[in-house]
Amino acid sequence: MSPTVGQPKITPYGDHAILVDWEVEGFSDAVNDLVHELSANLRASGKYIEVVPGYDSLVCVFDLAERSADSVKRHIEDHLVRDVSQTSNAGKMIDIPVHYGGEFGPDMERICDASKLSADKVIAKHSSETYRVCMMGFIPGFTFLSPAPKALHHPRLPTPRAKVPAGSIGIANWQTGIYGLESPGGWQIIGRTPLSIFEASRQPLFLLNAGDRVRFIPQ
Amino acid sequence: MSLTVLQSGTQTLIMDAGRPGYRHQGIPGGGAADRLSFAIANHLVGNKWDTPALECALGGLHIRFETDHLIALSGAQMWSQNQGLNLPLNKAVRVDAGDILTMSFTRAGCRAYLAIAGGVTAKPFMGSVSTYLPAKLGGLDGEALKTGNTLHIGEVQGEANSLPKGHTPILSNHVVLRAQRGPEWDALSDSAKRYLFTTPFYATAATDRMGSRLKGDQITLGSPVKMTSSPLLPGSLQIPPDGQPILTLADGHCTGGYARALQVIQADLWLLGQIAPGAAVSFRRSLSEDAAEILRAKNSFYADLIPGFSF
Repeated sequence: MSPTVGQPKITPYGDHAILVDWEVEGFSDAVNDLVHELSANLRASGKYIEVVPGYDSLVCVFDLAERSADSVKRHIEDHLVRDVSQTSNAGKMIDIPVHYGGEFGPDMERICDASKLSADKVIAKHSSETYRVCMMGFIPGFTFLSPAPKALHHPRLPTPRAKVPAGSIGIANWQTGIYGLESPGGWQIIGRTPLSIFEASRQPLFLLNAGDRVRFIPQ
Repeated sequence: MSLTVLQSGTQTLIMDAGRPGYRHQGIPGGGAADRLSFAIANHLVGNKWDTPALECALGGLHIRFETDHLIALSGAQMWSQNQGLNLPLNKAVRVDAGDILTMSFTRAGCRAYLAIAGGVTAKPFMGSVSTYLPAKLGGLDGEALKTGNTLHIGEVQGEANSLPKGHTPILSNHVVLRAQRGPEWDALSDSAKRYLFTTPFYATAATDRMGSRLKGDQITLGSPVKMTSSPLLPGSLQIPPDGQPILTLADGHCTGGYARALQVIQADLWLLGQIAPGAAVSFRRSLSEDAAEILRAKNSFYADLIPGFSF
């Protein structure tokens, strides 16, 4: 049985992009499937500068000198997949070793305080799930995963850090993910993996792709 | 056909038109942050507009030409000299083997583009030699130029050109950007909606090719935005909970989690590359029905002059 999914809002994002946005409370596997299906369709059309999928949204960047927002909107409506019954790509299963807490997880204490759980319990909860790679982005190799267990949900830092080390594993509201490279960032960091998610001198460039599944293995 | 870097400058990067099309993998299009000045510098020395050139942020670069070259500088106003003689902006100039070019501090804007007839050679990654420092892509081993580097210059492509009067971009230390409402505009408080288009902000020291943290009136959200990470574009103004906006620039993050309050219009994206730390930044409201006309006019203004170039 396919879950029912509402129609997305299709609105301008400035003068040279269109945002397709599904109203989702938290996370929806079904909507993420639709996002990736639409993304593949739009990319295949070759009409756009960028097609960037999110968890429950998609941004299509076009050249305003070549097309109008209205024509792009119509094109997106024509390519919108309404049937969720298509099977999602099972992807690979990858184990990610993680050093939780201490210098590798500077925000562990905050998550413990907020959840009223010990660090061991937070680690046990965070590593108990099998997560799905919902999108890649932000910076090369940043891996956005399906939701963390509810007890661990926590807002982003009010002011982002100037530097978050590569491999850092963080929480932002219900999201959890891996920083593929050192970068500025506002997620609550609870651990770090020594694995390199993105390596420019390696083929394949990316260790993980949307659709893969990952497990965190505490070290 | 080479030149030697005697002093690397604040940040000097090899740039071309960038590598668009990979944002879904987290790789920004990047490329010359001020696409117009970059194109003009190349055009003046007879290069195709998107030939690799040097992007010199905030001056300090000293180089020695090991062979005779035709060069041109465009973009930020810097005190630049060749063999102690002032170098004009936006004009092709012949330099001789052994000449030393120096750039000192910046007077207006942030980035000067130094084009050399034949272009700088570098190994492309995903179709572009543009340097992307966060992932060490493009350029010379993904890094900014270092003192002692040797740069090799390609085959001369054409004759020198001149820039007709009125085609020189005018840069100032007050960057005015035309923008439209972003996806989360409605989340702003009423006062924030007014401030964004009426008060100037200042680019803080936290300004680089990825983004610029602005300082100014506190921009408050009417209601807290609990956003799921969503795609983000160069020219997006994000409002984090601390109320100090962040403007996304050429190498900016591909997705973000803060409210996207404004989006700079396509015709003004080139100006994002000229925001220096300390510069004033203002936003002017652009109506959606005007943006296409503004872009058409700007494109046609340069189209006949620089073949293949568009904003």
